[in-house]
Amino acid sequence: MIRSIAHKEFVSTLRDRRFLVLSALVLALLLLATLVGRRSHQALQQERALAQHTVNDQFQNQPARHPHRVAHYGSFAFRPKSGLSLLDAGVDSFTGAVVFLEAHHQNSVNFSQAQESGSLLRFGETTVAFVLQLLVPLLIIFLCFGAFGEEHETGTLKLLLSQGVTLRQVAWGKIRGYGQAVALVVAPALALAATLLFVGAEYAAGPDLLARLLLFVVGYAVYFFLIIVGSVVVSAWQRDSRTALVTLLGFWMLGGVILPKATANLGATLYPAITKAQMDTEVHAEAQKGMNGHDPQDQRSAALKEALLKKYGVDSEEKLPVSVGGLVMRESEEYSSRVYQQHFAALNATYERQNAISTWAGLLNPYQAIRPLSMGLAGSDFAHYVHFQEAAEAYRYGLVQRLNMLQAGMGYGDKERRLGAETWRQLPVFNYQLPTLAWALPHLLLPVLSLLLWAVGLSWLGLRLISKTSIV
Amino acid sequence: MSQLTLFRLLLTYEWWHFRAARGLVLLTGLLLATGLYGIYYGTTEIERQRQHLATLPELTHHNVAELQQKFPDSADAGEIGYYHTTYAAHHPDAWAALSLGQRDVNPYYVKLRLLGLQAQLYATDNVNPVKSLSGNFDLAFVLVYLLPLLIIALSFNLLSSEREQGLLPLLLAQPVRPALLVGAKLAFRMGVVLGLAWLLSAIGMGWAGVPLDGRVLLWLVFVTAYALFWFGAVLVVTALQRSSAVNAVALVGTWLLLVVLIPGLLNLGVAAARPVPQGLALTIKQREEIHAGWDRPKAQTMNRFFAHYPQWRDTATIRERFVWRWYYAFQHLGDVSVEPLAAAYARGLQQRFVLVEQLNVLSPAINAQTSLNALAGTDLPTHLQFQSSARAYHDSLRAYYYPFLFRQVPFTHADYAREPTHSFTSQPELPTAYRGLGKLLLTVAGTFALGLVLMRRRAISPR
Repeated sequence: MIRSIAHKEFVSTLRDRRFLVLSALVLALLLLATLVGRRSHQALQQERALAQHTVNDQFQNQPARHPHRVAHYGSFAFRPKSGLSLLDAGVDSFTGAVVFLEAHHQNSVNFSQAQESGSLLRFGETTVAFVLQLLVPLLIIFLCFGAFGEEHETGTLKLLLSQGVTLRQVAWGKIRGYGQAVALVVAPALALAATLLFVGAEYAAGPDLLARLLLFVVGYAVYFFLIIVGSVVVSAWQRDSRTALVTLLGFWMLGGVILPKATANLGATLYPAITKAQMDTEVHAEAQKGMNGHDPQDQRSAALKEALLKKYGVDSEEKLPVSVGGLVMRESEEYSSRVYQQHFAALNATYERQNAISTWAGLLNPYQAIRPLSMGLAGSDFAHYVHFQEAAEAYRYGLVQRLNMLQAGMGYGDKERRLGAETWRQLPVFNYQLPTLAWALPHLLLPVLSLLLWAVGLSWLGLRLISKTSIV
Repeated sequence: MSQLTLFRLLLTYEWWHFRAARGLVLLTGLLLATGLYGIYYGTTEIERQRQHLATLPELTHHNVAELQQKFPDSADAGEIGYYHTTYAAHHPDAWAALSLGQRDVNPYYVKLRLLGLQAQLYATDNVNPVKSLSGNFDLAFVLVYLLPLLIIALSFNLLSSEREQGLLPLLLAQPVRPALLVGAKLAFRMGVVLGLAWLLSAIGMGWAGVPLDGRVLLWLVFVTAYALFWFGAVLVVTALQRSSAVNAVALVGTWLLLVVLIPGLLNLGVAAARPVPQGLALTIKQREEIHAGWDRPKAQTMNRFFAHYPQWRDTATIRERFVWRWYYAFQHLGDVSVEPLAAAYARGLQQRFVLVEQLNVLSPAINAQTSLNALAGTDLPTHLQFQSSARAYHDSLRAYYYPFLFRQVPFTHADYAREPTHSFTSQPELPTAYRGLGKLLLTVAGTFALGLVLMRRRAISPR
C-alpha cells in the first residue's frame, strides 16, 4: 500500500507543472554551479600550483649564499584546493591562498577571494552546496506543503483511510514518493559532479576522495529525508495548506538565514579574539624576556655560549668548530616558535569556541548541521584550514632550523663565507598533503549526530503526531 | 461619506485586524528585536575595532621603549628602520556601525617597517573565516534582507485572504472603490513597516552617534525607497489576483531571486568577466627583486636608486661589505619593480567593483547593500583608498629616514617622536550612494507603474 501511495505521489508530482518548472530551475542551477565551480576551482588550483612550482624552483636554484640569507629569502606555501571544494567552497573564499615563510616571523595567510570581491560575495556564493542546502529544501517545501491539506480539502483522505490504511502508512507513502521526486532532481547533478571529479586528472581521485564523496551524498540524503518528513509533518499539523506553507517558509528563513548569522555573530561577541598586531607583540616580548619572565634571550644566549666553550674545552669563540651565531639562532627560533605555537593554539581555541555555538545550534537547526558536515567532507572547513597553516608552519620551522644547522656547521667566521648553489637543491620543498577522511571525521561527530537525531526524532515523534491527528 | 473619512475608517479597521492577528504582531516584534540586535552587534563590532586601533600607538610606544633600551645612546637609523614597527590605521566612520560592509574581512590596520612596502601591504589580521562566511548581522542586513520578508508576510494576502474568506463581495458591495480599498490596505502596511524602519534607523543612528549631516536624510530616503520597492512588488502581485498561496510563492520567489540568486550569479559573472591580475605573482616577483639586490653589484643598485632619488647622488660611494642605505635602496627598488603589477592589482579590484555597481540595477538588494556600504565608507573602494594612504605613509617614513641614512646622521632618542604618524578615516562614497538612490527610485517608479497598470487593466473580482 505504501508503495502505491508513493507511486501516486511520484507520478502526480511529475505531472505538476509548477514542480517541473521549479525543479528544472534547481537542476539548472546545480549544473551551472558544478560547471562554474569546476572552472574557478581549476583556475585557482592552476594558479597556485604554478606559483608553488615557481617558488620551489627559485628556491632550489639560488646562487651561493649564506644560509641565514636563504632563511630570510624564505619560501612560500600556497594552499591547494581540495577536490570536493568544487562542490562546497566552505570557508575557502574567506581564507588566504599564500603564506610567506621566513626566519623569525610567522606571517598571515594572504590574498583571500573575499578581499578581492567587494561586498557582493557576502550575499553568498552559488555553489552546489548552497543549492543543496538552501534551495532544494525550498523545493521540498513547495512540493510537500499541501501533502495532507489538499487531500483534506478534496476529501480523498477519508476515502484512503476507509480502505484500512493507517495515517502513518499514508505519511510514509508520501515521504517515499516525494523522496523519489527529489532524487530525480538532485541525482543528475551529483552524477555530473562525480564524473567531473573522477575524469579530471587534476583531482587526484582515489579511495579517500571516493569515500568523502559517498559520505557527502549520504549526508545530503539524510538532510533531504528529514526536510521531507518535517514538511509532511507540518502539512498534517497545520491542516490548512496555506498556513502550512507560510509556517514552512518561516522555518526556512529562520533556519537558513537568521539563525546561522545570529549564532556566528553571537560567538564572535562572546569570545573576542586577539588581533595579529597584539599577538605578534606578545610573542616577541615573551621570546625576548622569556616565558613567564624567566630566562630572557640574552641570558639564554650567554648560557649557550658558555656551555659550548665548556663542551669543546676551549676558551674563546674563535677556537670553536661550530658557529655560535648559528646555534644561538637555532635556540632562539626553537624558543620563539614554541611561544608562537602557544599563542596560535590559544587563538584557534578562541575561534573554535566561537564556532562551537554554531555547531551546537545544529541540534536546533538541521541547516547548521549539514553545513559543517558538508564543508568538513569537502575539505574546505576551518579545521582543514588550520591543518594547512600548521603544515606550513612545520615546514617553515624545519627549513629554518636546517639552515641554522648549516650555518652552525660552517664554524667561526661563517658570515664571511657562503654555501654553494648545490646545497639548496638538497633541501626539501613545501609539498602539502591534504588530510585524509580519517583525520577529518572526528571533527564532524557533532554535525553527524545532530543530523541523525533530527532524522530519527522527526520520523518517530512527527509520525506519532500524524497518527494522532483527527481526520475529520 | 467622503473618500477621506472612508480611507481613515478603512485604516482603523486594518489596525484592529492587525492587532487581532497575533502572528503578525509577533513577527513585527521579532523584526524589531532582530533590528535592535543588528544595531547592538554593529556598534559593538565597530567599538571593538576602535579599541584595537587605540592600542596600536601603545604597541608602537612599547617598541620604541625596547629600542631605546637596546640603543642607550644614538643608533644607526638603519637598525631603527629594521626593528622599529609602526602602524597605518584605518579608522571607521561612525556610520560603519550600521553597515559594516567589508570591514571584517579587510584588515583595518597595516603594520609597517622601513622595508619593502609590497611585502607588508597585503598582510591580513586574525580573522575567523567561519564567522566571515556567515556574514555580519548589522542593521543593513536587517533592512536589506529581512525587512522585505516582513513586507511579504504582512501583505501577501492583501486581497486574497478577504476573497478566500468570502468577505470581498461584502466589502465591494459597500460604496468603496476597490482602488481605495487596496490603497488603504497598502498604506496601513507601509505605515507599520516604514515606522519600524525609521524607528530602527533612528535608534541605530543615535546609538552609533552619527554626525547629523546630509547622510541622515540620505539613509532615510534610501531605506524608504527600498521598502517602497517591495510594496510595489506586492502591488504587482496583488493586481494579478491569484490565491494567497500563489502570492506567497511569487513574492518569496521574487525575494529569493533578488536577494539570493542574482547576487550569487552576478558574483560568478563578475569574477569571470573581470579576472583580477594575480596578487600572488606580485608577491613572488617582489621577493625575487629584493633578494637579487644582495647579489648584484652595489654600484648598479645605487645608480638605479639614484635615478629615482637624485638628491642622494652626491653621498659617499659604498665601499663597505654592508651598509644600511644600500639595503634600503634595494628594498625600495623591489617595490619599484612591482609598481605596475601593484597598480594593475588595485585597478583590477576597482574595476570589479565598478562593474558590480553598474549591474546592481538588476537587484535592488545589491543596490541597497552597495549604496549603504558606500554611505558608511565600508566597501572595497574605501579599503583601496586606505591602502594608498598607507603607501603614502610609507613614502613619508622613507623620506624621514633617508637623510639619517644617506647623510649618516645618528638617530637619537628625540628622533623617535619626530617620526611621521598615520591616520586615515573612512570617507563616504557619496557619488556611489546617490547613483544607487537614483536607480532605486527609477525601479520603484517602474514597479508601481506596472502595478497600477495591471490594477487598471483588470477590475478586482470579488471571487
